[in-house]
Amino acid sequence: MSGPVEGEAAAPPAVTPQAPNDPAAPAKTDPKETKPADDGASKKPSGAELKKLKQLEKQAKRAQAKAIVPPATQQGGPPKENQKQREQKQSQKKDESRPLPIRRRPSQSNAVPQQQAKKESTRGQKNLGLFFGHLYSQPRQHSMVGASKDVHPAVLALGLQYSSYVICGSTARMVAMLLAFKAVIESYQTPVGTSLARHLTNHHLSPQIDYLRSCRPLSISMGNAIRWLKDLIIKIDPSTPEAEAKRDLVEEIDMFIRERVTAAQKLIRDQAATKILPGDVILTYASSSIVEQTLLQAHKAGVPFTVIVVDSKPLFEGKTLARKLANQGITVRYYLITGASHAVKDASKVFLGAHAMMSNGRLYSRVGTALVSMLARSHSLPVLVLCESVKFTEKVALDSIVGNEVAPASEILSEAERASLLPLEPHLPATHPSKNKAEDKHAADDAKSGPLDVIKWVEGSDNLHHLQVLYDVTPAEYINMVITEYGSLPPSSVPVVHRLSTNT
Amino acid sequence: MSVHTPTADKPLPDFDIVSTYRSILAGDAELTMPVAAIEALVEAIAHSSVSTVAETLALLEHHTAVLKAEIANPISLSAGTDLFQRYLITTLNRPAALNLAPGDDFRAIRNHLLSNGRLFVDRAKQSREKIASFGKHFIRDGATVLTNGGSRVVGALLRRAAESSTMRFRVVYVLSGSESSDTIEGDQIVADLRAHNVPVATVPDSAVAYSLGEVDMVIVGAEGVVENGGIISRLGTYQMGLLAKSKGKPFYVVAESHKFVRLYPLSQFDLPIEQKVLEFRVADDTKGTASKPSEDEGFFDMHGAKPKCSGVNAHDAVDFTPPDLISGIITESGVLTPSAVSEELIKIWF
Amino acid sequence: MAQGITQLAPGLISFLKSLKTTPADPSVEHLISLLKRRQIRNSRPCAIATTALMLRVVGEFKGRDAAKLVERIRQVGRRLTAAQPREVVVGNIVRRVLGLVREVLDDNTGDSHTGSDAGHNTPTHHDSMTRPTLSSSISTFSPLRHAAAEPMDASMTSEMSDSSEFNRRPPLLTSHTSYAPTTSAPLVNSLFGLFSQPDDSNASTPTGAASPDGKSAHSLNLERLADLSRSTNIDLKSEVMDGIRELQDELEQSDEQIAGVALEHIHSNEIILTHTASTTVQKFLLSAAKKRKFTVVHAETYPHDNTATHGILLTGRKRETRLDEDEDPWKPLTAAGIPVYVIPDSHVFAIMSRVNKVILATHTVLANGGLVAAAGAHMIAKAAKEHRTPVVVLSGVYKLSPVYPFDIDELIEYGDAGRVVPYEDGEFVDKVDVEHPLYDYVPADLVDLYITNLGGHAPSYLYRIVADHYHTEDITL
Repeated sequence: MSGPVEGEAAAPPAVTPQAPNDPAAPAKTDPKETKPADDGASKKPSGAELKKLKQLEKQAKRAQAKAIVPPATQQGGPPKENQKQREQKQSQKKDESRPLPIRRRPSQSNAVPQQQAKKESTRGQKNLGLFFGHLYSQPRQHSMVGASKDVHPAVLALGLQYSSYVICGSTARMVAMLLAFKAVIESYQTPVGTSLARHLTNHHLSPQIDYLRSCRPLSISMGNAIRWLKDLIIKIDPSTPEAEAKRDLVEEIDMFIRERVTAAQKLIRDQAATKILPGDVILTYASSSIVEQTLLQAHKAGVPFTVIVVDSKPLFEGKTLARKLANQGITVRYYLITGASHAVKDASKVFLGAHAMMSNGRLYSRVGTALVSMLARSHSLPVLVLCESVKFTEKVALDSIVGNEVAPASEILSEAERASLLPLEPHLPATHPSKNKAEDKHAADDAKSGPLDVIKWVEGSDNLHHLQVLYDVTPAEYINMVITEYGSLPPSSVPVVHRLSTNT
Repeated sequence: MSVHTPTADKPLPDFDIVSTYRSILAGDAELTMPVAAIEALVEAIAHSSVSTVAETLALLEHHTAVLKAEIANPISLSAGTDLFQRYLITTLNRPAALNLAPGDDFRAIRNHLLSNGRLFVDRAKQSREKIASFGKHFIRDGATVLTNGGSRVVGALLRRAAESSTMRFRVVYVLSGSESSDTIEGDQIVADLRAHNVPVATVPDSAVAYSLGEVDMVIVGAEGVVENGGIISRLGTYQMGLLAKSKGKPFYVVAESHKFVRLYPLSQFDLPIEQKVLEFRVADDTKGTASKPSEDEGFFDMHGAKPKCSGVNAHDAVDFTPPDLISGIITESGVLTPSAVSEELIKIWF
Repeated sequence: MAQGITQLAPGLISFLKSLKTTPADPSVEHLISLLKRRQIRNSRPCAIATTALMLRVVGEFKGRDAAKLVERIRQVGRRLTAAQPREVVVGNIVRRVLGLVREVLDDNTGDSHTGSDAGHNTPTHHDSMTRPTLSSSISTFSPLRHAAAEPMDASMTSEMSDSSEFNRRPPLLTSHTSYAPTTSAPLVNSLFGLFSQPDDSNASTPTGAASPDGKSAHSLNLERLADLSRSTNIDLKSEVMDGIRELQDELEQSDEQIAGVALEHIHSNEIILTHTASTTVQKFLLSAAKKRKFTVVHAETYPHDNTATHGILLTGRKRETRLDEDEDPWKPLTAAGIPVYVIPDSHVFAIMSRVNKVILATHTVLANGGLVAAAGAHMIAKAAKEHRTPVVVLSGVYKLSPVYPFDIDELIEYGDAGRVVPYEDGEFVDKVDVEHPLYDYVPADLVDLYITNLGGHAPSYLYRIVADHYHTEDITL
């Protein structure tokens, strides 16, 4: 029920109220209006200008509506619209959280306020509706401010580790969460007049989960673990003494981690390591702890093989993996994703980790995995996915767009990259809003523009969006084998195993 | 050598084009069928007393028709006869092209043909060497090459590559078990390559898909290169092409440009020959099994005169490899894409 | 390459400046060193520099001996290509200039020749008999004229038509594409070669680089060239220089010409994916943006072109061209009202299901229809193929190379590993083999359409464009 895919509250529908019932609007392309609309992009019209403009608009609209539309319908339209526009003007702050109606309403009538609203809202979130608009809601939580007072300190700390990617990776996040929940349960006291089974889940655990979700959408495995835990709590006999129940729960959690993670990983790596033959060149993408364990195990067993790590920005997880492997004496080559088509040429097998295995056999994993598997497939390389069954989900997906996790766009440009873009400043188009701002700033405090300004340029230029998600979906036909603790299976058998492992 | 052997000295209707063709082929193991056909036609002209353009063309048409009817698989040789016919029509219509004065048109052309018959043969053989020396660059150091059949051009190419000491490569050679002349040629190539220290693995047709994982490129010969850039080649080539494509391995064809034939097959069953490959039978239907001796095969035919044959047996049969499976066609004038073949043929036929 | 280049850094601009005052030989050295140090890189700057240098070389050439001129150009060309073999475009330009020399000669000999020595070297255009002589009777018209889509010279047409039976099929064959190739094509040989006159046989060599007979044929051609130039009274030098200037115009205009057809390829509300920073692609999209609304998804091509990519999106120009004061300033796409979404390269597959069309820039286009482009291009094209999304490649004709790509790996340049992992991370660089390929080879079957300054072509037709622009005997420099 919860996971990164649907983990966030759905984005506000944000259908502008005037959109549907305004048949006059598209027809209305008065040159008088288009002109100011265009200017609006470059300079901010003063309040008086705006007012005048609106007056004009209103008049034109009325005149036109009279000609075309029956009066009854049009009366409702324009005034409301104008009212709305005025609202926008007066309190533009409100616009920040509201996705912009830019693509939904190409009509000229609200072009000016739209532009303006956009300009103002660039401080906040930019509209990425074309691709992942449905995934945006509120910005990611990066601090403890605003967290509910019920949130346990261990969970608070964990949330920050999530949002800063200190704890990263589907399994690691799940284990960390369970450990934090252990602390939560241990310090839990059932309030008088209710039972642990009823109160713990709904009133105590839920705020913790909500907080974690606000830090970063839950992973599939976290969702699975939460479901398991809730199930467990509900089944507790109300007559059980609280201390005993808590002890049982903590033990169960430990058992869960031992069985579904530690033991599962051992089984998987034992099995996967046998697939590494002397002379193999194993290609892997980004970083997966289970792949890392497998490679190390095979290396310790004395199998001579080399590794190619393909990596990509912004997390550069593969770098850590490459370093660890190299420190153990494995020959490692390191490519970025742009060089992937060269990397696969030399590889003989591809080992991938998973964020989740979907029930239609597709692999949901770090974005870029699909590219690597595609290239491997075209070179006839076997693609092996190592995945604990706790990451299996009943969800299905065909593409990477319906369900995904959006990462902050500003992460696209690293500090160094921003710095290398700084010399471009004098070449920014004259119409660029942040250009003006930069001048203002120069006038004000004569500050030298720093790397952060580059982000502002990006945010400031209309139409330029940076887009970043964390996962993609690899088609099942690129995958030759999924290794789980139950054994090796074709991707088509994922739902079978999922059913088996959840029915126990 | 066979050009000057006076096999027959009677005028037009009695000249035995078929036996001339056979003896020419038999006389020189290095000869390809299209060139042998051209030689036979040149001889036919030599033995005739034609003196006008129209007569010559009629004579050619007659002999070509006879030849095509008598040979079980005339695809390859028709490349030669068609080319020759086209050449005559073109030049006879425009003597200036031969740097001849308009006056001595026909005689001069005839003389040119008759006196240079040997040259044509040499040139055809030369083109094989040219292909070999050019095509060997396709084989990169450390590569594994898959090939099939007994194509002499492929053989020449591989030998040439083997002779250059700087390059190490391996060959997977597909040899069908049957005792066709194709196999004999193939065995010879394998032996030569091994003598040059080139590791060669011979596999049956059925092992192509199996071996493909170890292979870097496929090189095949062709009996004819057809208008859309596809090829007609010995049975099994098509499946190699399909497999190579599905595994993303480059598939090169080696063929002299005189093998370009004006033919546009749409499918395997659209070839102008009858092949006894698909023979459906039930238990008691055994009468039809007595197959006629093989008459014709890909690259040479040393059986001499044999009775007329109505079909091609399975082990001498050919198939059609469509152009989308072919990465490039290596000819003596360079590497052509399949689309360039079409242009070449358009240029002489339209 | 990007960091630390200051206003006065050596590069294309400084080279062009110094070329005005420096004689040819030191300029050749200068360009060689610039190429070697990668201070001039990428196809367009290389092409511009080479053309300018060629103009200088030809301009300083003394005497009227065509053979010597050819040898001189060839020798310069060999040195330049040896300096940086992967900038294939340098060789392309040299070959084009060689072709110009041959063309000038040919045009003139064609006019002045009588039938007296026709037996030897009249450019009898009939391909059946004269394939060998073809090599000396080079193409009758300039590729530049193709580029400008001008009708053929009347004199040429007539010369061709009376020598060819083909003119009886007007629709197919009056166009240059079906005829010119026979004279200049490296890949095309007449099927009638088998029957040709014996005395010509020495020239019917394969065109491949490896031809053992190539040398003799070539020297023979040179002799002929020398003959011709002595016997006729032509101002070889100035005509060739005019030709080179036309070539410069072509380089200058090719982007505009490509952009000119943009509306034929981009419809409204498309989502177009592109990568790296290419002026050709940006101008193409800008031209379409004048009339249509569409959306661009831009893969940033990290780590080697990302700075340029972000730069071109923010300011409309690459960093390296910003030194060029003469260049027309043009707005970034975003200023033209086109929404641009920048994505990391890893997102290509994820986003591809929403993309209607992929437009790729290229480094070099090869005669087999494949191309060499910025790293990442192969996976983009492959992902597009998997999603059945059409892939369009934009390339000026000057990027088309006649050299057959026997070994793709030789064309791939590897860049500075420090761009992948900063050198501060010394321990990592020591232990891990960091690879940084700059280019990808994209096979022809992943490309659906090429758009050059001559128009749109299927990949399978590129061999013909190549054949139209280069002469057989120039392929090996």
